[in-house]
Amino acid sequence: MHDLFREVHELFLATQFTGFMSKTVSRCNLYEFANIFFKHLTWLENDFIKRGEEYNYSVNQIPIKVDKLSMMINNIINRIESIEKKLDSCKDRDIVFRMQSDFNYIKLALKNIPDEDVSNCFDTKREYPNVKLTDEARNALTLFLFEESYKEYELIMVYNYSKANSSDAFLNRIFQILIDESFFHLRSFGEIMADMGILTVPRTIMEEVYKFNDLKQFLKDGIEEEIGAKEECKRLAEAVSSSSEYFASFFTFINNQENYHIALMEEALEHVS
Amino acid sequence: MNAESIVMEHMMNPQNYGEMRDSDAIGIGKNPQNGEKVAIYIKVREEDEPIIEDIKFQAIGCTTTIVAGSIITTEAKGVSFSRARELISLTLGMLDKQTPEDAACTEMVVLALQAAMDTYLERKKDRDFPIISYIIKTDCTPKEEER
Repeated sequence: MHDLFREVHELFLATQFTGFMSKTVSRCNLYEFANIFFKHLTWLENDFIKRGEEYNYSVNQIPIKVDKLSMMINNIINRIESIEKKLDSCKDRDIVFRMQSDFNYIKLALKNIPDEDVSNCFDTKREYPNVKLTDEARNALTLFLFEESYKEYELIMVYNYSKANSSDAFLNRIFQILIDESFFHLRSFGEIMADMGILTVPRTIMEEVYKFNDLKQFLKDGIEEEIGAKEECKRLAEAVSSSSEYFASFFTFINNQENYHIALMEEALEHVS
Repeated sequence: MNAESIVMEHMMNPQNYGEMRDSDAIGIGKNPQNGEKVAIYIKVREEDEPIIEDIKFQAIGCTTTIVAGSIITTEAKGVSFSRARELISLTLGMLDKQTPEDAACTEMVVLALQAAMDTYLERKKDRDFPIISYIIKTDCTPKEEER
């Protein structure tokens, strides 16, 4: 069951990041499939919790550097087939049935995805289409994208763990909103990384990051981090404003979204205080 | 390959990242200023002197820490403890050439490596010796924040 859980987590990441590579409508399909695999992960997680069994979010490195989209599509199908062989390790037959049913359809749908050249997602040129970035803006943006793509993935998993292990409806509503918001940010950053030729899957998260004991302290630290992220977005918006009106506007938009995240975390903090 | 592309390569594909479940020793480097930390896991082969047969690291930290961890663990893989100590000393001697933030990240990684080797040597005498943690000395406060 632990191998099954890890492989489903890896499948979710591989599919999500393959979605970033596509420049066609296939991106939407891959996003939807990634959502379904993430849902599978939460089902298996809930089964661990019901049985009182420890689990973690450790994953192996996921190589995605390919020239053609079809290479990743085949990789995803192979991952699904490997998972299918391990489904019996989950004793909840309803979960297994639902997962198998999803896999049957998704494998067929994946085979119909047209091929694309995706080599530019990994060429490290660090250029954005139709935008002339200064060296300073390019470097600041590169570092930001690496930091924040990891951070958003980390936040998705941290809030997901907190939600899975809490029965407080008020908090869980907030955690779910924060998960959804982090998904949006991860996807925004992932798409830019692919366009700039620096796409990569974030590293695995250390267990102590999501298995914390003090929710109040976690929320306080989270608010501080969001304030830091706001400042970074403001700096970036300034750094890229002369190069790109679009990027400046994008980072101002992300900056203002952080206000909402802070408000949600403050609401949660008040609830647990 | 120039320095920029080497750094990009380590950013996109950090080497030796992850946990090692069957490690012989673990060491921790910590930055108390911001709560960041690095854990280094080593697998050791005994010859005339101990050799770092395999090495992995994990971090709660920024991209600079990941790049430093990737580069330093790559250098330390397969070398003797005495060579690894030279690597640590050389790296610590070059910290003043980096910005305070980058120096703090690098120091955290080399101290974790030092701690892992020290933990290994202590465990040869006492199997239950706890994991050693070292705290960095570099102040990583950016200059403008000090004012």
